[in-house]
Amino acid sequence: MAQHSEFEATEVLPDSRLPSSEPAHPLDIRFTGSGSEYFRIWIVNLLLTLVTFTLYWPFARARRLAYFQNNTLVGHDPLGFHGDPWKMFRGYLLMLMFGVSYWAVSNFAPTLAWLPLLVLAVLWPALWRASLQFRLRNTSWRGVRLSFTGDLKGAYLCMLPFFIPVLLMGMVFGAVASATQGAEPGAAGAMFAAATGVLVLATTALAPWLLARIKRYQHGGYAFAQEHTRLHAGVGAFYGFSIRSMGVSLLCTALLAGVGAIVAAMAGGFSGAALVMLPFLLALAYLVFPLVLVPYTTSRLQNLLWSNTRSRRIRFDSQLRFGPLVRLTAKNWLFIALTLGLYWPFAKVHTARMRLEAMQVSVQGDVNAWLAKAQGGDKGILGDAAGDFFGIDMGL
Amino acid sequence: MNSAPRLLSTWFDGQSPRSQVCELRIEGSELVLSLVSGERRYPMRQVRWAERRSHGQRQSELPDGSLIQHADAGEWDAWRQASGQREGAVVGWMQSWRATLVAMGASVVFLGAAWTWGVPWLSRTLAHQVPHSLEARLGEQGMQQLDRLFLQPSTLPAQQQHALRERFALAVQRAHPRGDAPPWQLSFHGSKALGANAFALPGGYIVITDELVKLLADQPDAIVGVLAHELGHVHHRHGLDLMVRASLISALVGVVLGDASGFLATVPATLATQAYSRDAERDADAFAAQLLDRSGVPPSVMVVFFERIRQQEKIDENEDADDRAALPIAISSHPDHEERIRFFREWQTDPARP
Repeated sequence: MAQHSEFEATEVLPDSRLPSSEPAHPLDIRFTGSGSEYFRIWIVNLLLTLVTFTLYWPFARARRLAYFQNNTLVGHDPLGFHGDPWKMFRGYLLMLMFGVSYWAVSNFAPTLAWLPLLVLAVLWPALWRASLQFRLRNTSWRGVRLSFTGDLKGAYLCMLPFFIPVLLMGMVFGAVASATQGAEPGAAGAMFAAATGVLVLATTALAPWLLARIKRYQHGGYAFAQEHTRLHAGVGAFYGFSIRSMGVSLLCTALLAGVGAIVAAMAGGFSGAALVMLPFLLALAYLVFPLVLVPYTTSRLQNLLWSNTRSRRIRFDSQLRFGPLVRLTAKNWLFIALTLGLYWPFAKVHTARMRLEAMQVSVQGDVNAWLAKAQGGDKGILGDAAGDFFGIDMGL
Repeated sequence: MNSAPRLLSTWFDGQSPRSQVCELRIEGSELVLSLVSGERRYPMRQVRWAERRSHGQRQSELPDGSLIQHADAGEWDAWRQASGQREGAVVGWMQSWRATLVAMGASVVFLGAAWTWGVPWLSRTLAHQVPHSLEARLGEQGMQQLDRLFLQPSTLPAQQQHALRERFALAVQRAHPRGDAPPWQLSFHGSKALGANAFALPGGYIVITDELVKLLADQPDAIVGVLAHELGHVHHRHGLDLMVRASLISALVGVVLGDASGFLATVPATLATQAYSRDAERDADAFAAQLLDRSGVPPSVMVVFFERIRQQEKIDENEDADDRAALPIAISSHPDHEERIRFFREWQTDPARP
């Protein structure tokens, strides 16, 4: 990708320290999970989750994660999952308590519904980091645990810009409301619309930058043995990604509008036609957007992130192609609809296989010589302890 | 003890990605791991054994953070079995198609039972656990919102309002002489949006629109019946009940669909509340009929109410038919009305109460 050029200067430094004698060898990623087996796991998990009034959920989740990770072979060695379901159970109870209290507050005291939301927003970066730590620390390859090294301050700093639009929104609406007190409703409505428009535009313009910040923190915190990854993609690459995604969604809209126009022209001025067309077009939109836009963004974002994530001796590469992913998504949806949802586990396995097998890892030098420093456990930072105690895992 | 089955496998020490050849055997309650460098022993209970599956390698985690990894799954399972180790019930269950189908059937039965009995029972119980003060606040907030959006001040003469209120109070008093009727607060409102209508909010707030009072102006007993129906909703706490039900159904659907889809999850909740609210109407009708009967008014006065409402709906439909294309939107043609009219017409005095 062209966007790389601005970062090449920084890449030369660490790379130049590498002993050039060490050859790079690729490790293929393979996924060996099967749809029929995951179907059985899913059904049994579902029954147990239902009859225990969802208390079995963390155990089901641990089994599911273990299944997916154990069936992901890097080189010829599978990833391990070591999450303790009892710890995940504590985290689940915490989330359950939060959910129930949010439900109670929003139903019984709707004027206070912002309070739990505010608490969640303030805690969110810490929870996110804790769940990344939990997932990475409980994932191993060749017996060595991965880890997440991003710090708490970094998590808050990278998410901070998210709060600014929300704050601005509140302030602008407050100002508009007080300015239009007593004015006729039409003027107030116009001002609200203008303020909303400006904010939406500003948020859209800043969204790729926010995404870049978050992903740089996330992909800059992965560690295995002495290796620490960094994301070598600039903000420009994320803007490119967003603009192309927007182009694809405009194309979809144009396509829908074109189909609508053709059918309307064929129906020819009949007044009832517009009424019949609208639900039909809406249904088409429900189909076209998830079938085209979601696979497009999924494949492009995965490629953007993983082709640019590397450490001194590890390089990732992702070549997930759009066409095959669209075909797979269409097939999955069709079968899910035909089987009333029973195909869902198969769809999940097939998608995981395509996404994982599009990736490759290449390692420089002899992995056997690497050594993990003593990790985890003995650090004693509060965030670590809380994340580990509650096994917080939000399914990233 | 040397006859214990042995297995050559791979071991990782947890510090380095370098693999080491090991030999495994089980001696009593210990797993013995023989390496080139020596022997390690682990209590069997502390080992996190790999679950048997048909795909993937076997990984077992040892208490010191090291890992046994075995590529040939069949070989591993055979060794485990030969060593007399048994696996968890759930693991065997997931490997059997027959057990999976049984689990699927059981899930369907469980969901059906939860839908038919579990959710109504739980929501009714929970609704009755909510303290009255909280319920009243909920109703107050609802009242304020409705007031802002749909309600206008009543144009009925104060005298008529007073007379109707007195008439209803007297009926309630007669039907519940021991004062066991739920507390209520009646208000009259004009409403362009709601038309001829009456509704109850949690906490005993009952609203009747001017349009409905005018529709039944010559039948004050039918108005009492309508108000009694609303008091029935208050008595059964239907407002809270339906709110809890909708949440429980959404939660249930969320469990089944998992991360599959968000927008599908809202559909069953809507369907469920519709089905449940028909039951709620029936309960409120029964309460109203009983209240009328006990206060000395024949419940059949309600028949007039239903007939006039139906007439008005017909007029509305005819008016609409002109400017609306004949779309098959109006699927339900209120079969409920017939059933409800029959209920009030055929009401028999409670034999237990002479």
